[in-house]
Amino acid sequence: METQCSNKAGASELARYFAVAGAHLYTVLHQVSHPVARALLIGPLAAERHETYHPWVRWARYLAARQIEVLRFDYRGMGESTGVFEEMSFENWSEDVQLLRDWLGRQTPRVPILLHGLEIGGIFAANLFDKGYGDALLQWSPPSSANEALRSNLRHWAGLEQLYQSSENRKTASDYIRQIEQGEPIEVDGYQWSARLWRESFQVVPPSLSNADVAFRDEVKRRIGAVKLNKDASPLVRPHLRVDEVRDLTWLYAKTFNWVAEVLALSTGETNEGSS
Amino acid sequence: MKEAVESRELFVLDGLDVVVRGTYHKTPSDISGAQSNLKADRIGVLFVSSLFPTRAGNGDSSVYWADSFAAKGYPSFRIDCPGFGDSDGDPPPDLFAYLNHGGHAPILSAKISELIARFQLSGVLIVGLCAGAVSAIWTAAASADCKGLILMNPYFYVPQAVRPNFREKLSAWSLQTRFGGILSWCFALLKEVGLFLNKKSLPRNANHLLLRKFKEMASAGLPTLILNNKNRNTPGSKSKTGEFDYLAHVLKLAGRRGEVVVRSVEGADHSLSNRVGRMGARQHAEQWLDTFFPLTECEDTAASSTRRDPGESGRAYRDQILNCN
Repeated sequence: METQCSNKAGASELARYFAVAGAHLYTVLHQVSHPVARALLIGPLAAERHETYHPWVRWARYLAARQIEVLRFDYRGMGESTGVFEEMSFENWSEDVQLLRDWLGRQTPRVPILLHGLEIGGIFAANLFDKGYGDALLQWSPPSSANEALRSNLRHWAGLEQLYQSSENRKTASDYIRQIEQGEPIEVDGYQWSARLWRESFQVVPPSLSNADVAFRDEVKRRIGAVKLNKDASPLVRPHLRVDEVRDLTWLYAKTFNWVAEVLALSTGETNEGSS
Repeated sequence: MKEAVESRELFVLDGLDVVVRGTYHKTPSDISGAQSNLKADRIGVLFVSSLFPTRAGNGDSSVYWADSFAAKGYPSFRIDCPGFGDSDGDPPPDLFAYLNHGGHAPILSAKISELIARFQLSGVLIVGLCAGAVSAIWTAAASADCKGLILMNPYFYVPQAVRPNFREKLSAWSLQTRFGGILSWCFALLKEVGLFLNKKSLPRNANHLLLRKFKEMASAGLPTLILNNKNRNTPGSKSKTGEFDYLAHVLKLAGRRGEVVVRSVEGADHSLSNRVGRMGARQHAEQWLDTFFPLTECEDTAASSTRRDPGESGRAYRDQILNCN
């Protein structure tokens, strides 16, 4: 079956499965004919994937229209990827990122690679960059740990749930946290979180990239960008918008692209303008 | 990297210069390589996405249902509507007005024709949740290839203008305090009494065009399953006390020839995506499929589904469901 299709800008979007242990990752390669760089987009987990999907895809298209080839994907057990969510671990998801980075690194022609993580994806991206992978690291609203991201998701979901539950059935985020810390799984937005996943999440933290004690060379520091997005960037971050709202985030894409172009010293013309 | 794995295949429908991307869930006979023996009467189950959740659905519930139906022998397909998910385009500015008045129907109808040609189907059953259910109704009316509908929490009204700020604050307060909860309950009860006294009149914000389309199809006998997450304490088939009972209304619209079945999924959330919701919805849908679109064994053991007259069993099933409600 044909799964490749060109958008108006001429960039092809190839949806493919990528084999990993026990599952297949859903990937979309925004392919360009003469890439000046490549980007691996490392998104958030579970329900956050749905909330952020629309602007995330548009960011990928924005980059592809500017000659940056983009690979985005769903983690094991989520979205279009196969596998069972509750059986997965942060180690599995970290491995997904590593394997796709390796695949991207093998593509020709060789060009600089940007690792771009959103929310919890920022931690995975930073850890990969810390190991020497990638030529630039960009993080949008990275949490201080995976647990912080999970708590934030839980609070958001529990708050919404209260609107629909009768007073006797209402549970607060604290109630759910108590439950999972006692070893019972909880269900958040259709995903079952195990107590194991919760415990592991405390250990998933970014490396101390900006720590003054770490002897980073200035050149390396220059290639790291971390931006805490505010509500103007929703639905990439909370508060997510009403379901009928569509927001134009071109200002964010343009600003970020300028940073990428400068850091990677790209000579890219906006020849495909108008597609994003 | 590959386009297909054992049980799934990715596809693009690019006719009419509109690119729609989707995922095909293979039946056991497709997996075993019996594709060359596909019969012309095999009916596919098509999930259309609802607003911003992608074709995977909330909590990946659409993936779960598509896997389940395909495992039973119904080839299942999930697509991102144009402007959403991985499909090309942008959503229209006035999104709800566009969807509520069938904006997606012409293109989805064309995409169904493409899907049928590509996967050798005899027709499709369209599945939609919430706004997706509204699009499903409009599309069914526009496509002769639609053989049935599964509507999850459909709505038959158009959203009212933005509520005044004080109403929003009042609602929030009523949710947060016990006294506010009691007042809210009293208000809902008064509305219920008002509805009882005015039972024949539709609310002012009813989507009359949609109801008319629904009536045309339902009264012509299009098999339709409506799933909702009814509150246990709410009268009738509606989800909230004080609301107009649209489901009772559409059952009346369907008339005696109608094949409309309403089932409630206890304990489900709005998107039916929690464990209880997705399992309950699956069970109801599979029971409905067995009744209205039973699978027939074809040559070489390739399973396919064919539409048949539901006959007595279908009517008995419908009666049973209606009695349950």
